[in-house]
Amino acid sequence: MDLNESNPQTVIEGNYTAEDSTVVVRITNTSSYFNSDASQTVNNADVTITDVNGLTTNVPFVEAGIYILENYAPEFDTEYTLSVQANGETFSATCEMRTPVLIDDITYEFFPSIFGADAGYAPFLNYQDPADQTDFHLITLGVNSKEWSELTDILQQDDALVNGNYVERPLFGRSLFEFGDTVHMHFRTVDEKIYSYYGQAISNATGGGSSAPGNPDSNWDNGALGFFSAYSSSRKSVVIE
Amino acid sequence: MKYLISCLIVFTALTTSAQKFTISGTLKDATNGEDLYGGMIKVKELTNVGAISNAYGFFSLTLEKGTYTLIFRSTGFESKETVVELNKDIELKVELDIPKDVQNIEEVEVKAQKENENITGSGMDVTRLDPKDIETIPVLFGEKDIMKTLQLTPGVKGAGEGNAGFFVRGGGADQNLILLDEANVYNASHLLGFFSVFNSDAIKDVSLYKSGIPAEYGGRASSVMDVKMRDGNKKKFGMSGGIGLISSRLTVEAPIVKDKGSFIVSGRRSYADLFLKLSKDTSINQTQLFFYDLNAKANYRLGDKDRIFLSGYFGRDVLGINDAFGFNWGNATGTIRWNHLFSNKLFSNTSIAYSDFDYGFNVGSGEDGFGISSSINDINFKQDFDYFLNSNNKMKFGVNAIYHTFKPGELSGGNSSFNPIILDTRYGLEAAAYIQNDMKIGSRWSLMCGLRYSAFNLMGDGTAYEFDGNGVLTNSTEYSRGESIALHHGLEPRFSISYILSENNSIKLGYNRNLQYLHRVTNSTTSSPTDIWVPSSNNVLPQLADQIAIGYYQNFNKNMFSFTGEVYYKALQNQIDYRTGASNFLNELIEGEFVYGKGRSYGLELQLQKKKGKFTGWLSYTLSRALRTFDAIDNGREFSARQDRIHDISLVTMYNLTERVALSAAWIYYTGDAVTFPSGKYELNGTVIPYYTERNGYRMPDYHRLDLGATFYFKEREKFEHNLNVSIYNAYNRENAYTITFQEAENDPTQTEAVQTTLFKIIPSITYNFNFK
Repeated sequence: MDLNESNPQTVIEGNYTAEDSTVVVRITNTSSYFNSDASQTVNNADVTITDVNGLTTNVPFVEAGIYILENYAPEFDTEYTLSVQANGETFSATCEMRTPVLIDDITYEFFPSIFGADAGYAPFLNYQDPADQTDFHLITLGVNSKEWSELTDILQQDDALVNGNYVERPLFGRSLFEFGDTVHMHFRTVDEKIYSYYGQAISNATGGGSSAPGNPDSNWDNGALGFFSAYSSSRKSVVIE
Repeated sequence: MKYLISCLIVFTALTTSAQKFTISGTLKDATNGEDLYGGMIKVKELTNVGAISNAYGFFSLTLEKGTYTLIFRSTGFESKETVVELNKDIELKVELDIPKDVQNIEEVEVKAQKENENITGSGMDVTRLDPKDIETIPVLFGEKDIMKTLQLTPGVKGAGEGNAGFFVRGGGADQNLILLDEANVYNASHLLGFFSVFNSDAIKDVSLYKSGIPAEYGGRASSVMDVKMRDGNKKKFGMSGGIGLISSRLTVEAPIVKDKGSFIVSGRRSYADLFLKLSKDTSINQTQLFFYDLNAKANYRLGDKDRIFLSGYFGRDVLGINDAFGFNWGNATGTIRWNHLFSNKLFSNTSIAYSDFDYGFNVGSGEDGFGISSSINDINFKQDFDYFLNSNNKMKFGVNAIYHTFKPGELSGGNSSFNPIILDTRYGLEAAAYIQNDMKIGSRWSLMCGLRYSAFNLMGDGTAYEFDGNGVLTNSTEYSRGESIALHHGLEPRFSISYILSENNSIKLGYNRNLQYLHRVTNSTTSSPTDIWVPSSNNVLPQLADQIAIGYYQNFNKNMFSFTGEVYYKALQNQIDYRTGASNFLNELIEGEFVYGKGRSYGLELQLQKKKGKFTGWLSYTLSRALRTFDAIDNGREFSARQDRIHDISLVTMYNLTERVALSAAWIYYTGDAVTFPSGKYELNGTVIPYYTERNGYRMPDYHRLDLGATFYFKEREKFEHNLNVSIYNAYNRENAYTITFQEAENDPTQTEAVQTTLFKIIPSITYNFNFK
């Protein structure tokens, strides 16, 4: 199969995690589709983050296209802007860091074998959705010492249908859990643009079903691919017994 | 307006003042009393003078006083000649016989007759299918399917395997009006597109108009597929049916009162899921996967001038997995019609039709289960007049009104986790008035002038929303019941002119404008029952199509071969698509997710057909483009529509090997659909993601396959005939691409690959058909 080769585009993946007050930015370029080499990294970019009061802090280069800023404590429900100067261009993206919605409890239920797949346990996420705002969440699971955190493992939850309710939702990961497993749940609170971005990115990564796939709607301006996500977390673990 | 007046002046000038009388009556099939639609009544002594029977078999011909030999003819029947002394109005009831010892197997005798209706008829070519014609054409699973057969004719392209939708001359899949006895059919497919909802046993006639669409039809931009059900045998009881691998069918018909009224009931049910019951896995053996349909019709003649008809269709598809998941959808239609003869020149048809399409989707059961449902229903009133003014002018005029109720989505049930959602119901009134004249001028010219005026009023109660250029809500307004939210209207001229060069060839030129007020926006590769129908509103403008077409028609070898060549250009306005990342699931603000643009398509269609002899069939080739331009997509660059299939070839052949064995073969080839493939890749969160540049800049691999079929007719008895049909779909087992997806290689995440899936490989099947006559 012959695919065109486009000019390399700048890809910026920025994550500002509230739980450890850290900003991690990874800058790479696109490559041709069937190329098996690792992505080309951008190591000489200028990265800064600005808070709602206009205070700008530099995010220093560490290695291999990665820039990290530590001990940067967030102010919830305010906006942060990440700016990058790379490949001769300037890009910026803004994201709201929201107060985390907390996991109330993890329960679990046994599911019998369906279509020949193994029987097992599925965990239920239980939380109270705040009624006075629209909420968007990304969820990842983990079992024992492994975290299922690839793009295609990320589950989405919003409150369009459940606003103000106590939610009990079963979550299905790569497989069902076994008796004695420790289940980890990471419940992120994100803003609407990032929530929508992940939905499109996951669809593209799994081959896309749409007749007109497009690049996900990024919050970067000036044509950079990728995203800047500022998110808060709630984590819980439980043993199935 | 000026053009309408000039048409009227032309025909008034042609009416003379000599004494004239009218020959009128009905044309029927002698074996079962069915009305013959499109039958020819020719006058031997006059050139280019005659009449055509309408959909109810009625004809009317006004001539000067004199003696004439009338020839009555219809395809597949023996013609009849009658001499009449025309010195007063005459009424005739004519019945045509099927030629002796022939049941569409042997050569039909041709005397000194002209079977060149395709040359001499006015209006652009309409593709008409008689279910008898397609009995031996092989299709998927051995099921006769009118819609799949239409896709073998030029200009009509199927939406692909596993899809019953189709595209006509580059138009979208929602731009085809599908009518079943005057009622609108919104979703014409079963089993996710493998079969259409039309049971061929119950169908009398299918007419597809791609251009020169008569003014009596409106509401869709690209084509009209008018399906008429059989009335039922008026002479005696009949029963026929078939048993196949996937489904079976049964039809029962009989007179209510001989030659006055009859009924027909036709049913079909599939049973793919019965095979699944053999599995030991409880999740498989409790899976439901079936469809059924039922067609019923009754008609009765009340006196010489009146007939009433009652017809209905009901069909349903059910897909369910255990109690975990269920999906069902279906259409229901019902029509009451009344034919009345005001005079021997003025025929009237009044219909009231009801049509409903709904789907339901449920997950889980009991306390935790929830369901989503959606529906669209219409009440349709139509009044049509056929006025046979004189032998040179046949007028049609009438009015039409449809009241639509759209229920785009309702979510109910569930445990306390889910809030019920009911999207606003929308109400719309679509109305039209039309007038049309088919005229003959001299012995060579035919002219069709029609004008349709249509309007659509979107009404409350409900909420209307306004959005900015990025789809963000800016305003919402409440409307009360019956209050107008948006009114759209326009004139739709329809025009065609043809010139007979000789008895063997003719040329035609046509222009039509069509307005469409209902839209089905889809963002998936297959049309699914969950695609929503959206009415025009304060945000959504009606789609508009302007088409111009020129055709050349030629018959060879005493009408044994016919050749058709047509060139067309179509300009589409107000086309709708979704913006990137649109959310279309139970979205009250769905109109904010639309972007608007325009389109154009153009092409050349060629067809060579052999209509007579032991060996018959056709070869058709279409060369065409279908392009779109949207400001919000690819920065306004023109891109290929998905259905931009440049080359499309169909070769269909039928051969009567012996009196009892008929063979058929069909070979189909088309350029792959235009698709969006990646032009690069990048990494996010440790996963590879494709990078897309231009929309629809790539092509799927070309599609081609060969279907073979053989029908073995057993010895026919006086009251019973039966046959066995064996067919092979995709005989050389080509793996045609259904989808191509791009993802990380399973065993090596650093590698990316393109994965092609094929839907159907080689599929043989066998069907047993019987008929008690």
